[in-house]
Amino acid sequence: MTVEILQGYLILSGILFAIGAAGLLLRRSPLVMLMCVEIMLNAANLAFIAFARYWGDMTGQIFTFLVVTVAAAEVAIGLAIIVLLFRHRDAADVDDVNALRG
Amino acid sequence: MQYVLILPEILLAGLGLVLLGMDLFAKSKRSLAVAGVIGTLATLVAVLANFGVAPAEIWSGTIRVDDFAQYFKVIFLVILGLVFLFSHEYLEKRDVRMGEFYILVTFATLGAFLMVSSLELITIYLGLELMTIASYILAGMLRQDARSSEASIKFFLMGALTSGVILYGLSLLLGLSGSTHLVAIAEALATSPNTALITAAGVFIIAGLGFKIAAVPFHMWAPDTYEGAPTPVSAFLITASEAAGFAVLLRILLVGLAPALAQWKMVLAVIAFVTMTFGNVTAIVQTRTKRMLAYSAIAQAGYILVGVAVATPQSVTAMLFYMLAYAFMTVGAFAVVIMLSNHIPSEEIEDFKGLAQRAPGYALAMTLLLLSLIGIPPTGGFFGKLALYRSAVEGGMVWLALAMVINSAISVPYYFNVIRNMYLAEEAPAMELSARTGLKLALGIAVAATLLLGVFPEPLVGFLRTIQVMP
Repeated sequence: MTVEILQGYLILSGILFAIGAAGLLLRRSPLVMLMCVEIMLNAANLAFIAFARYWGDMTGQIFTFLVVTVAAAEVAIGLAIIVLLFRHRDAADVDDVNALRG
Repeated sequence: MQYVLILPEILLAGLGLVLLGMDLFAKSKRSLAVAGVIGTLATLVAVLANFGVAPAEIWSGTIRVDDFAQYFKVIFLVILGLVFLFSHEYLEKRDVRMGEFYILVTFATLGAFLMVSSLELITIYLGLELMTIASYILAGMLRQDARSSEASIKFFLMGALTSGVILYGLSLLLGLSGSTHLVAIAEALATSPNTALITAAGVFIIAGLGFKIAAVPFHMWAPDTYEGAPTPVSAFLITASEAAGFAVLLRILLVGLAPALAQWKMVLAVIAFVTMTFGNVTAIVQTRTKRMLAYSAIAQAGYILVGVAVATPQSVTAMLFYMLAYAFMTVGAFAVVIMLSNHIPSEEIEDFKGLAQRAPGYALAMTLLLLSLIGIPPTGGFFGKLALYRSAVEGGMVWLALAMVINSAISVPYYFNVIRNMYLAEEAPAMELSARTGLKLALGIAVAATLLLGVFPEPLVGFLRTIQVMP
């Protein structure tokens, strides 16, 4: 893989990361925020795979497999927490979750 | 031979599985706590037996066993053991599923073990995730309490953001060097022309780990999470999770990013200064005990961060010492808070009123631990802070040392507010205060260790001087 192609992948991954981070900071629904986290993790995955191909080394691809697995666990826990939150109140919005402040 | 080196991890994982099995069959959940303490002690013996062994890397370098890792494992085990000792009554009164609590806290500690015992990014990342994912659940374990769910969701969303940010930084390190091993990364970075990408990787990793150690401006989740989470979980997160974050920060900055370290020292020093000042100033106005301790934890993270910013062998030694003392004094203070909240669920600082008349022993213990948190002799907190201060002066950051002194003075009012409430308040509600043996034992250990570290610090400091972060 040439440096030009690598740059293309990195730019794409940077854009994905920015979209995820912006979404996480701007959107207020916990479900959408969870999806934004996934976009960020996948941006990192794309960078890992592009670098693995560039260096001709499998380490980056192995890292990606592990990240995908961890992300699945993270989502499972995240959804459970969101369900728990909805049980306490009909909060569809993280702005409603504000009992703790000061 | 390999299996002897990772015996602590094997034992701790085994303990988690044994607890999982026991949870199904044991009628009295107290036996789980007892098994947990025994397992923690067994693991501690295995860790201590590995001290002084020549640093070794096994399994293609994915696990590294050296004294730096062993020392942090001792800190984690101390915290885990104390949590096993003092949690039972609290969990029982609040109807928390005890089996799950003990299992998750064990696996969270296993994650912290993996974080410190590797120079390999993959292992560090997996350890980090194991610890944080278990912590998300722990923070939300008071299922009837909306505040606990809130603590959990805030912790989860910020934690997920953090792991994304760290992961992106790690991918850049891999891209710059073609390796995930920190030593190989350091070699590649030393000759790499891509300074912009190296800086970007540093920004991502420092910001991500800044979230983990609750450094300002990445702290906003911390007070809410520490306040809403069950109190034993707050104690665990404030000490163990933070220590693990610092261990990884040290490894990545001093080993992997060593060629670019100079450009980060000033940034870290400013973060340390802002963190301690913000934590102390905000703690003054708090009226709830856990929130006050949460801001105090942020301030303490600022002090410890001084050691990273100075980045000399002396400052690392001081940091390691302070983190052990910090674990003892913080967990000890939480033991008193738990004892009190078992009787008065409100968890306001006002609750301490008249504690000296009702339970003089607890009041004295709390006073000692708070004095240690301020940094007054003869306590471990004093000696640790002095060592950090001296290393900052010797490392050429006199202003930072001065900031530490001023901050210690700022911190006096809110710690003393608790002491004043305990000793000077006139009317004390008549109430029998009692605690189980486990909690008393935990508090006794914490107070004794805090005093011991203050009176006889030399043996430990002498040992810590031999610990190397660099391979």
